[in-house]
Amino acid sequence: MNRAQGIENGASDWSLLERVVRKDESALATLYDRYSGLVYAESIRILRDAGAAEEVLQDLFLQIWRTAEKFDPERGSLPGWLLVAARNRSISRLRRRDSRANDELTETSVVLPCNLESAAAQNQLLGRIKKTLGSLPNGQREAIELAYFEGMSHSEIAGRTGAPLGTVKTWIRTAMDTLKRELT
Amino acid sequence: MSAQHPIREEDLELLALGVIDGEECQNLRAHIASCAECSRNFAAAQGRVALFAFAAPSHNPSSDVRERLLKKIRAEGIPARETRPEKLSPSTTRPAIRWWNSFWIPATAILAIATVFLWVNDRHMDDQLQKMRETEQMFEGEMHHQRELVSFFAAGDTKAVSLSPKAKNSSDWARLRYNTRMGMVCYTGDLPTPPPNKEYQMWIVPIVGSPISAGAFMPAAFNNGHMCMVKMPEGISCKSFAITLEPMGGMPHPTGPEIVSGNGL
Repeated sequence: MNRAQGIENGASDWSLLERVVRKDESALATLYDRYSGLVYAESIRILRDAGAAEEVLQDLFLQIWRTAEKFDPERGSLPGWLLVAARNRSISRLRRRDSRANDELTETSVVLPCNLESAAAQNQLLGRIKKTLGSLPNGQREAIELAYFEGMSHSEIAGRTGAPLGTVKTWIRTAMDTLKRELT
Repeated sequence: MSAQHPIREEDLELLALGVIDGEECQNLRAHIASCAECSRNFAAAQGRVALFAFAAPSHNPSSDVRERLLKKIRAEGIPARETRPEKLSPSTTRPAIRWWNSFWIPATAILAIATVFLWVNDRHMDDQLQKMRETEQMFEGEMHHQRELVSFFAAGDTKAVSLSPKAKNSSDWARLRYNTRMGMVCYTGDLPTPPPNKEYQMWIVPIVGSPISAGAFMPAAFNNGHMCMVKMPEGISCKSFAITLEPMGGMPHPTGPEIVSGNGL
């Protein structure tokens, strides 16, 4: 099964996770086909290393396979957890930190404002995010990218860009407001 | 933001984005960990921030990664389940197993009880069948005897003999029917009950030779007298018959007093 087939498979994430709990290999493969592209693209953007990004990807799906029964659907969505965990692990590798203790399935709750189970939803969201970020002023866009993909704090971004700390905070807050406005 | 929830929605997003650090970050996380409402709001903020992942250029992992992943989970097999309660749902496999257990345990117990009951019932039926077979054999023996009697009495060569008492003024009497071909003698009479450890013994006195025992007997009640059947050697010529009183079990030759006797020719 390729990625497109995994995305178009009608089973919900929830029912697939139930099957993973019962050690159904094909269910994990479907989830992998559905979300591996998103996770890998995010991880390789942060790490800029295909091998390291593949390790992060494989570790995350192995964790799902081993501990799927711990996942509480009322506390968040699977793709939300995957994106947050992939980012945390990738940034930790980048900065030589260990963050695995903080992204256990039971510890990290992520509620996405949209459903990513279908390819159409993913493509539509991809278009809107790119359009929104493309519309941001360079300072805001650069600050968001340094924060999200490189894990920098306000002060680190100020140090990297040379902009005053207050300006950096404003850029980021404004960018977040724009994103929320565009997605609601 | 309120006194109870000192965190603004924007702060939750900034925390999720990771731009807040130091003591402020620790304070915010400590509050979120202890506040259910802020924890829910933080989960939503993390979801909004996570959408920035879509800003990354599209890349797909090589198919080798998928193969390695599937190979690895196959090599792992099915790990032992943890004892922690599952959070997945009330309809996961484990509750289903519990449901089946709750069915199979009483079902097995009922089956075991039914098996014991059937086994006991089977033993009882075997006993009853054995008793019925014994009864059947008894009736078959009785029927064979009755047929013999019918044949005996109906046979043209069955002869009758009256036996007279030896003692004067005795009311004892006996009558015999005998058939030398069939080797049977039927006694009817009114002899008194023999003394303890004694019984009557019938003797056939042949034309030539010593008396031959036709068997010892205890007369059974029959109408106004007694009746019994005894066997006699087949094919002998009878001169006379006699009944003596002998020790229990009979004697090879007459030793006791002769009670009745009669001519057989």
